[in-house]
Amino acid sequence: MAHVVLKDLVKSYGNFKAVNEVSLTVNDGEFVALVGPSGCGKTTTLNLVAGLTSVTSGDIFIGERVVNDLDPKDRDIAMVFQNYALYPQKSVYMNLAFPLQMRKLPRDEIDKKVREAARVLDMTQLLERKPRELSGGQQQRVALGRALVRDPAVFLMDEPLSNLDAKLRVQMRSEIKRFHQDLKATIIYVTHDQLEAVTMADRMAVMNGGYLQQYDSPAQVFAHPVNMFVASFVGSPAMSLIPLEASTANGDTVLTSAEGWSLALSQPNARKVQRAATRKVVLGARHSTIKLHKSAVPGAIPAKAYTVEPTGDITFVQAFLSGAIVNISVSPNTAVTPDEQIWLEFDQERMHLFDGETEMALRAN
Amino acid sequence: MSTIAETVPRGQTSRRMRIDGWRWGGRVFLVFMLLYTALPMIWMLLTSIKSGFAAMQFPPQWWPDQPTLASYQKLLDPQNSVGQDFLRFFWNSLFVSTATTILSVIVAVPAAYAFSRFTFPGRNFLFFAVLLRNMFPAVIFLVPLFILMRAIGLVNTHGSLVLTYLTFGLPLAIWLLKGFYDNIPIQLEQAARIDGATRFQAFVLIVMPLSAPGIIATAIYSFIGAWNEYIYAYTFLSKNEQLTLPVGIQRFFSENTTDFPGLMAASFIMSVPVVVLFLVLQRYFVRALTEGAVKH
Repeated sequence: MAHVVLKDLVKSYGNFKAVNEVSLTVNDGEFVALVGPSGCGKTTTLNLVAGLTSVTSGDIFIGERVVNDLDPKDRDIAMVFQNYALYPQKSVYMNLAFPLQMRKLPRDEIDKKVREAARVLDMTQLLERKPRELSGGQQQRVALGRALVRDPAVFLMDEPLSNLDAKLRVQMRSEIKRFHQDLKATIIYVTHDQLEAVTMADRMAVMNGGYLQQYDSPAQVFAHPVNMFVASFVGSPAMSLIPLEASTANGDTVLTSAEGWSLALSQPNARKVQRAATRKVVLGARHSTIKLHKSAVPGAIPAKAYTVEPTGDITFVQAFLSGAIVNISVSPNTAVTPDEQIWLEFDQERMHLFDGETEMALRAN
Repeated sequence: MSTIAETVPRGQTSRRMRIDGWRWGGRVFLVFMLLYTALPMIWMLLTSIKSGFAAMQFPPQWWPDQPTLASYQKLLDPQNSVGQDFLRFFWNSLFVSTATTILSVIVAVPAAYAFSRFTFPGRNFLFFAVLLRNMFPAVIFLVPLFILMRAIGLVNTHGSLVLTYLTFGLPLAIWLLKGFYDNIPIQLEQAARIDGATRFQAFVLIVMPLSAPGIIATAIYSFIGAWNEYIYAYTFLSKNEQLTLPVGIQRFFSENTTDFPGLMAASFIMSVPVVVLFLVLQRYFVRALTEGAVKH
């Protein structure tokens, strides 16, 4: 295993920069997820690490080596593709053996390693089959086996679960996580699904428009998103972002809506707002930090319920505030009907405040 | 019967009848096409086993009274002069066609792969330029190519034919193969390269076997094209010992009186390699096609 360092990595196609000054370190044995919407540069970044795309500028280290100009075969990596990329003309056995044959291992050693990998992944009975005779989950497992049979320095995974159905995806998610724990493997995992990143990764790198937005543990990214993009991308349902106007009078800072209502801020939050260069402030709140009241309460904002979605454990209520959609989760015992008058109370401790112009999170210091 | 017919809505009945009409029309058409293609071949075969006299009879003998393999024996007998010539022509054709096929695969495979996988300046222009040759009737190039071949000293060599046939077959071969490569996911090569293969190994070990149906189709196409070509062979070659079959057959049998059974036997033997090639490779061709069809 080895660590991976990306230093000021840039990939441009003509004038378009697909990857822009990305720097990050993946520690030895760490599971890092590159996550972002499609076109954010995450797959390009992975292809740069794999050597399938040439670097425009910057450096990639695998272990202590700069690998910028090395062929993929010399980088000591393994990759799992979204469409699995199993060799259709080869049996499962030969698919697993291929990376070892390419390294000119003796035949009996290849056989031993292939059978061991097949045993670990519980597919010994599938060895003679062709990829087309396997289910999606089995194909996925063969792809995983082909990666692990070689014991590479780094595993690269490009949306390996996207082609599976929902149930299998959850199952394979825990299998890959288990695989990481057992092997202590260094894994770089690309996904557009923030849930996969949050559930599996030690650290997640959120990307957008070719830029690295935030690189931290899922808990930190969830609790302290650096900007509005990360705030709205991570978490489901998405964080509600309400555009408001800040003003200070008599030492009290309040956020005022164009709709007429205003919200007084606690001292720590007021300090954050006072440090902002603009008066435009966006209030961010996750569904679980908003309390729904059925009657007026001091400090609560009046709103109208728009839709009510029971999911069993939790009921989600949607309302509009200042033109923004606000998601609130309530217990299924709370009966709310659409168009009912409700009052929303924001948790001052857990609310997020963003600069309305730069979209960056406001910090107290 | 009548009660059932009455309960069926009128429009539905007539629609069903129209479909049946089309189906029967189609069958009649197919039978007609089958007769149209098969009858000349059957007649060729029947004539080839008649005696020279029986072949000229009118009304014709539909089935020969005394079938004989004499024509075949004559053609395939290296002892007599007819057989010597015929076998030489056959060998010449085989040589020219095989050389054309091998060269066209050797050129078309990397060319098509490059057009499919790499971006380079002038890629689109070159790709359409490849087709330019096929936009003109072959005969247009007859005289220019003859002059060219004479200038480079290739007249009366098989090389002149191989080169010419390559220019006929390559454009389509490249287009056909490019389609095959476009359909092979690039991730397969990427996986191979990550698994330790060089770019070339990834191509030879992974992509080539998957494009086998395309390569076979290309090979059959080039072979048949070269095997049957007449006008260039007729123009470029004049020495008897160099002639290919299409030219050779014609020269050989129309000198004094036309020996129809001999001509038909020669034609039949000439069609054998093409048919055998096609039948043998077709099985592999179909198998390879269905293998590629269920890609995920």
